[in-house]
Amino acid sequence: MRSMIGDGENLIAPRPRVGLYIHVPYCESKCGYCDFYSVPKEGRDQGPLVQSLISELTSRVAALNGDVRSVFFGGGTPTLLDKDLLTNLLDAIRRSVDLNAIEEFTVEANPATVNDEIASLLAASGVTRVSMGAQSFHPAELETLERIHNSDDIVVSVATLRRHGITNINLDLIFGIPGQTMKTWDQSIDLALDLNPNHLACYGLTYEPGTKLTAQRKTGKVTPCDESLEAEMYQFLIDKLASAGFEQYETSNFAKPGARSIHNLIYWRNEPYIGVGPSAAGCIDGRRYKNASDINKYVTMMAELGHAEAESETLSKQDLTLEMLLMQFRLIEGLSIQSFKDRIGEDPLKQFDAVLPPLVQKEFVTVSSTHIALTRKGRLISDAIVREFARACDVTLDTPLPLTA
Amino acid sequence: MADLSLIRNFSIVAHIDHGKSTLADRILEHTGAVTKRDMRAQFLDDMELEREMGITIKANRATVPYEFEGKTYMLNLLDTPGHVDFHYEVSRAIAACEGVLVLVDATQGVQAQTVANAYLALEADLEIVLVINKIDLPSARPEDIALEVEQVLGLDASEAVFTSAKTGQGIDDLLTAVIKKIPPPKGDPTAPLRALIYDAKPDVHRGVISHARVVDGSFKRGDQIELIAVERKYLITEVGKFKPKPTAVESLGAGEVGYFVAGIKTLADVNIGDTITHCIRPTDAALPGYEPPQQMVFCDFYPGVGTSTDQLRLAMEKIWLTDSSFTYNTASSDALGIGFRCGFLGLLHMKIIQERLERENDVSVVQTAPTVTYEIKHKSGEVTRIESPADLPDPATIEEIREPIVSVQMIIPAEFVGTVMQLSMDRRGKHSKTEYLSPDRVIITYKIPLCEIIYDFYDKLKSCTRGYGTADYELVGYDAGDMVKMDVLVNGVAVDALSVIVHRNNAAFRGRKLIMRLKKEIDRHMFEIPLQAAIGSKVIARETIRAFRKDVTAKCYGGDISRKRKLLEKQKEGKKRMKVVGSVAIPQEAFMSILSPDD
Repeated sequence: MRSMIGDGENLIAPRPRVGLYIHVPYCESKCGYCDFYSVPKEGRDQGPLVQSLISELTSRVAALNGDVRSVFFGGGTPTLLDKDLLTNLLDAIRRSVDLNAIEEFTVEANPATVNDEIASLLAASGVTRVSMGAQSFHPAELETLERIHNSDDIVVSVATLRRHGITNINLDLIFGIPGQTMKTWDQSIDLALDLNPNHLACYGLTYEPGTKLTAQRKTGKVTPCDESLEAEMYQFLIDKLASAGFEQYETSNFAKPGARSIHNLIYWRNEPYIGVGPSAAGCIDGRRYKNASDINKYVTMMAELGHAEAESETLSKQDLTLEMLLMQFRLIEGLSIQSFKDRIGEDPLKQFDAVLPPLVQKEFVTVSSTHIALTRKGRLISDAIVREFARACDVTLDTPLPLTA
Repeated sequence: MADLSLIRNFSIVAHIDHGKSTLADRILEHTGAVTKRDMRAQFLDDMELEREMGITIKANRATVPYEFEGKTYMLNLLDTPGHVDFHYEVSRAIAACEGVLVLVDATQGVQAQTVANAYLALEADLEIVLVINKIDLPSARPEDIALEVEQVLGLDASEAVFTSAKTGQGIDDLLTAVIKKIPPPKGDPTAPLRALIYDAKPDVHRGVISHARVVDGSFKRGDQIELIAVERKYLITEVGKFKPKPTAVESLGAGEVGYFVAGIKTLADVNIGDTITHCIRPTDAALPGYEPPQQMVFCDFYPGVGTSTDQLRLAMEKIWLTDSSFTYNTASSDALGIGFRCGFLGLLHMKIIQERLERENDVSVVQTAPTVTYEIKHKSGEVTRIESPADLPDPATIEEIREPIVSVQMIIPAEFVGTVMQLSMDRRGKHSKTEYLSPDRVIITYKIPLCEIIYDFYDKLKSCTRGYGTADYELVGYDAGDMVKMDVLVNGVAVDALSVIVHRNNAAFRGRKLIMRLKKEIDRHMFEIPLQAAIGSKVIARETIRAFRKDVTAKCYGGDISRKRKLLEKQKEGKKRMKVVGSVAIPQEAFMSILSPDD
């Protein structure tokens, strides 16, 4: 992976390839299960935010010791920005980033917000991929999730995007919704497949702390899906998508050959990325930062300090080890033995020699010459397995990382 | 030299909550020993835990002056614990006195510890002043209660003193009765020195402060003394009285109560109950002293999270130096490592020591289920005692197992006789006698195996008598019982720290309860975990902790990593609190859960 240029005397490491994430926190309304930072757009002056976004984007990319490899423009719902402001922002991206050199440019969209005007603007701005939260094609389930769109919107939106030349489409689906059955889940998958997406992200519904849905569960207003049923839905999904020609490459992500998300793979491989916007996080040069979440705070900090970092941390070896376990075991390919050696300076097979044999013996984990990966059986309980691995990370790892270029 | 006829040594005994400490407070205030400004409730109780729980754990003392008929008397007052576990403290206090105040609540009447403690005084042949307290309460029935006491204890009701320790009413009458009824100490001021060490406290700066009651002779600063039992000689560097604050005085004479400091380093160097005498002109007859305290309840303490065995050992030593009535020896468990087998006077005592360990020494303690001493008669004819299920020998070599039997005296309202009898029979009790104190109050006595009452008997008695029942017990002997060791297997592995000795008839029931509680405490794992309770190889209860069907974080992108990592770190720390047995992580709480009362 790390090709070196030169003859051995004059080694030049290639400039790191970096992901760029831009967060627009506006939503039409907040969904009950969502724990991202977002606010209703109604009645807000979006101008100052867009100004700050452009300013942070410009300065972060300029300061970058590397090249932007992918852009992910998410939220919230970026497509909810006023058209002029959206145009300004897309222009700014185009000015900062060499769109010819990037491999992927994704914009998140709500199916209810896509129209010809937006689709044509996105296409003209170099957007190559649109990710849409379909979630379900079942009206009652969409209502439980408090989604503002209906299943027809999804169909229309996909057609609109394709008409304007954006052919790389991801749809998000959710399973384990209260009231969902195997039958309605099967139907939703079928209806999604009918739209011929290139990529599907299918998440088990998560009760995130502090969300409305979690509160409803506590008060008994919402009865969560049975754990066994949810496990069954997950297994069913994996089989069904495989037979439809999708490759599972991450816990919840499935792609047609060649359509894996380049930007998201950066996260899962613990590679560098920068984040722009309220609540956005970045991790680069061994340092992680997170911006202020509140829009006003973000705008004020940008104006007064030139940055909006509310917190930042330098990753220790221990930190990075845990993050590599957390992220790379999400990938079907698993944890890269070489990258662990390169980044941590330890052989993971030795580091984890106490936990590996029982996990391998129980067929939760397999070890190849290049990767340590979860089996399909192991994937169902991946969190428990990661905890096992984490237990083997002792304090000797609690030293600062050598700064990696 | 003080005039013996002007000295009165007495202690206050009562059932818990009948107002002993408040009465002591009032006497201190009334005699001017403590000014109103310095007064605080439970003045003599200086342990933090005592004030918090509102109980007296250690006997406390004060010397106060009192003017009566133109003479100044010196009153030495000992406040004693009321709880059944601390009889031992009461008996020590009584041995240093000529009289006791038996204090009875005018609304509640005679209770189990009133009887038990009053008998201690009667057996020691002390003069008794009957005090009916709390007469200020609207529901007080002082005359009735006095008659009740007369009936139970044979004390003359017409001589009862009526007080309200709360308002101070009757305190003068009480002090007059103390002076008139309680005899002054006998003793020969000119005989060779004999003084009883009835208590001792460690002091950081001065070493041990020994509390002493002088019987004959006197001693002063600079005297060379000998502790007769331990055969050690010391030089007295300070002599004092509790007024109630320790105050240095010239000397202590016959009949007086006070303290001395003599360069004794640790409590281990002092025997409570020992006699001191002078090196020059020693006595040739030591005082009778005390029987050693008898530990009734045993459990293991293991180091908990963030505590090492050595830290726990240091903490145990420190507490032991302030309370030598518990015992501890090194113990080891496959599941919990190296810890200590401890013996206590009772369950409350156990709880107090555990709390003091954690509170005063900042260590964390994992405690195993309490058990009692069993006598094992081996087939060889030899008889041994064991204090831990782990020490039980191979059943094939055992002729019989004998369990300690206590005589439990319960005082209850007559309407609850049926329920209390049922409770006692459920605990394998045998009826001894039933006596009516009055038409509506009864003393019931049962012989019950000690192991049946150490868990929750008091709570049960309270709840089935609407809070009115009280109980006291004393050991009467050992009886053969059909006892078996019940093991607990987690994922097929016996966890030694969870083993208990139970009666065969109760084994299935206890086993089921234990397993159910364990099921609640142990988290689900990647695999199914069978939980079993077994006697030998026979499984008597079984539960299964289901494996995770699904334990997956659905989404994790760039903004989530930090939070997810911190969560993982927290879980990793949590894992450290676990004891891993047979690849199952058992939280410390699981070991404690065995202690929680039955649901």
